[in-house]
Amino acid sequence: MNMYMHELKSLRKSAFIWACVLIALAALFLSVYPGMANDAADFKKLLSNYPAPVRAMLGINLDYITSILGFYSMIFSFIILFGAIQAMNLGVSILSKESRDRTADFLLVKPVSRSAIVTAKLLAALTAILTTDIIFYAATIIMANAVKTGDFDGKLFFMINLTLLFMQLIFLALGLAISVFFKRLKSVLPISLGVVIGLYMIGALISIGKDDDVVRFISPFKYFDITYIIKNASYETPYLAVSAVIIVVSIVTAYIIYIKKDIHAVS
Amino acid sequence: MSVIEIKNLTKNYGKARGIIDVNLNVEQGEIFGFIGPNGSGKSTTIRTLLGLIYPSGGSAAIFGKSCIQHPEIRKEVGYLPSEVFYYDNMRVIDLLKYSASFYKKDCTRRINELAEIMDLDLKKKIDDLSFGNKKKVGIVQGLLHEPKLIILDEPTSGLDPLMQQKFFELIGEENKKGATVFFSSHILSEVQKMCSRVAFIKEGKIIKLEKMSTLQDSSVKRISIEAKSQMNKEYFNIKGVSDFTVKGNTANFIFKGNINSIMKKIADIELRNISIDEPDLEEIFMHYYEKEE
Repeated sequence: MNMYMHELKSLRKSAFIWACVLIALAALFLSVYPGMANDAADFKKLLSNYPAPVRAMLGINLDYITSILGFYSMIFSFIILFGAIQAMNLGVSILSKESRDRTADFLLVKPVSRSAIVTAKLLAALTAILTTDIIFYAATIIMANAVKTGDFDGKLFFMINLTLLFMQLIFLALGLAISVFFKRLKSVLPISLGVVIGLYMIGALISIGKDDDVVRFISPFKYFDITYIIKNASYETPYLAVSAVIIVVSIVTAYIIYIKKDIHAVS
Repeated sequence: MSVIEIKNLTKNYGKARGIIDVNLNVEQGEIFGFIGPNGSGKSTTIRTLLGLIYPSGGSAAIFGKSCIQHPEIRKEVGYLPSEVFYYDNMRVIDLLKYSASFYKKDCTRRINELAEIMDLDLKKKIDDLSFGNKKKVGIVQGLLHEPKLIILDEPTSGLDPLMQQKFFELIGEENKKGATVFFSSHILSEVQKMCSRVAFIKEGKIIKLEKMSTLQDSSVKRISIEAKSQMNKEYFNIKGVSDFTVKGNTANFIFKGNINSIMKKIADIELRNISIDEPDLEEIFMHYYEKEE
């Protein structure tokens, strides 16, 4: 409990900053919505001039784009990108920072097992992400209600937002698993940005090609098709399952490696 | 039962040498010196004791329990590393409280006591502390839970002589109260002052284990003298002198043995200058311990 509280304290600030960033991003896009909704027909025409692959890459679906949910789903791909960066950063840094800041000799000689340390840090990171997402969700609900032109389905809106959490869990777990393989990680950002943006680009390239269900497994950014969610009010089970597998395998790996790891002297 | 029991402990870092077949027993209530040049394997041994690294072979136990399988034994262990690093944005008192929270007992009184002895400002931010003051935080941090085993890794580096004095007094008191002390250093005289037994480690192997009483009256000094007249080469040909060089009026050598005997010898020479220094450990090893092997 003491470790969890300690970690939480150190994550508090960044969680709020990330929530603000995500909210600002959503606000920026949503503020355009009323104007666009007024000229829905023109806007659709404009977008239909875009080549289909480009539309697919940007996550634009002409059938829905003028509804608030459809519009939100388009901007949501950026929100998810940012959220993934936050989660990956957290995952990569939370264990490795003890070695980087040379505080490992403090924490790891305390009478606690390594697995207890991982658990406390993991829970703190989860709390930070949940806090960010809850604040974000509350803010977007208020914003969406402010700019809407007609009623929208609150349950669908929640389901869309929930994919942010799913994606963040995937990247948190991935980050954690990657970080334990380094003896001493000098800087976090290059790795987390590299992996997230790399997978994002792959995801964008996949959507240019034909919709191949197998290829979509390569990038987590393709696991949650918002258009599908709007149409069916459900998630695609295979991708949900794969997400769960990635999360579990990554976290188990992180535990196993970290428990067996040699913590070397600072120099 | 020994407080520390190290059996055939070996650690390889890939192809690089760590420690080879180290055997050590530290008994209840003693101050045990662990001495060796930099890079000889002292820290590797200590890090295994603390469960920070995993041995490639052999075992290490504290209070009869394996250091790897029983993290809870560290409740009774206080550790002071040679270089201390803490969470920079915390205040000293918050760090110490965080540290205390791991031991599940009230350490407030002890924290204040120790802070007063070490003259440490508890309200300052860690970030703003000098190296020496951080070290003091480390000392308080290592002792606040009144550990039964104190592990010191080059503890005096960065402490001014006055603080070193206070620090040794503090360790002495803890020892009197019953704490066992494992004291690693590369400075022989430092260990000589305090320890009841001492182990010498070199290139990953324990080369000698001695009772301090046998070492006590044989200190090792590097002596240079400058005489007023030409010196006779044969004059210092006595037991305990080695690495002897003479050049005109100056002579330079290492002496090991009863310091009085050499002083009497020197007193008979008309001197212009003299310096008596601690030789570094490498020199001592080179001229004494290796020969005895």
